[in-house]
Amino acid sequence: MRRACTVWALVVGMGAAQADAPNSIDPASGAATWETHAHGVALRLTQILPDQARAFYISRGFSAADAELYATACVYMTVLRNDAAPGALNFRLADWQVRVRGAPHVLRPVDDWLALWQQRGVSESARIAFRWAQFPAEQEYELGEWNQGMLALGLPPGERFDLAARWQVDSKTYEAVLTDVRCAPR
Amino acid sequence: MNRITSQLCGITLAWLAAMPAAAEDLPPLTHVLTPIAAPYPAPALKLADLDGKLHELVNFKGKLIVVNFWATWCPPCRREMPSLERLRQKLGDKGLEVIAVDVGEDVETVFAFTGQLDPAPTFPMLLDKNSAVAQHWKVRGLPTTFVVDTDGRVIYRAVGGREFDHEAVVKQLRPHLPAR
Repeated sequence: MRRACTVWALVVGMGAAQADAPNSIDPASGAATWETHAHGVALRLTQILPDQARAFYISRGFSAADAELYATACVYMTVLRNDAAPGALNFRLADWQVRVRGAPHVLRPVDDWLALWQQRGVSESARIAFRWAQFPAEQEYELGEWNQGMLALGLPPGERFDLAARWQVDSKTYEAVLTDVRCAPR
Repeated sequence: MNRITSQLCGITLAWLAAMPAAAEDLPPLTHVLTPIAAPYPAPALKLADLDGKLHELVNFKGKLIVVNFWATWCPPCRREMPSLERLRQKLGDKGLEVIAVDVGEDVETVFAFTGQLDPAPTFPMLLDKNSAVAQHWKVRGLPTTFVVDTDGRVIYRAVGGREFDHEAVVKQLRPHLPAR
């Protein structure tokens, strides 16, 4: 029992497996994917190339200038999935930590993006599309639940960063870490 | 613009506008619904379908209803949609109904996408253009699906894509089908 507890504490304390190189690169687009599994949870970031983001948002009603702001903000298709966590997990993006060359970098909340789009006169239908296309700002996943959505890091093209995704199960905090992730080039 | 031209145009736009994802490396759809520990009355739902006909959840009372919130650009939504029709084909004659609620899109976009599906959906496709209903149901991400029992209570939830006609899901649903 004691040994099991020690092993468990080590596992929780160590956080996640780390990934320096992308786990895969899509041969058609060149988009890279970083993925890790920790404490029964899968985390995956796949680059959304600026051209892909431009096409997506322009076709949803954004002007080219507005789409450009988002497309060049280091966007990822993000998946978080409860495959085998010890219970229902809860997370808030506000608790996730991004570090660029060791310095903390704050993720821009979806509400801030929405306020920016309103200020720039982006249509309501385009703002609704934007809001629902983003990775949720907070969520609860029971076993087998997951989401896939866009997450903009707000970093320049080509930048490198580390991401610690955090969640709670029964008031205990867990994390999965991806290191040396790269923003797509311009 | 005639309907065929509109559909072709829509298919092209839908393809261009689909959220980018590496097709060969998609997360698997799962095969379990989350039971709701304390079932609660389903929120109101009254929306028009692609032909402008109004549908209201209360009119389906007495059936087991699968309410799916989705959008055409959402990769797991697109992948799970055919399985909703296969589920309806499996259990429709036993009192199961499926309602799909598209969040934030227009008739042309939804029509263009559903025209490509095999099997084609035969259940109501409703439009929640301003996403007010999705927010009322406390949906945080797409797809999210709820199962409403014959008494109008939410008994299951599914956040993220599912293979709805998988035997494990069907097994969860069968005990809640209306008595015959």
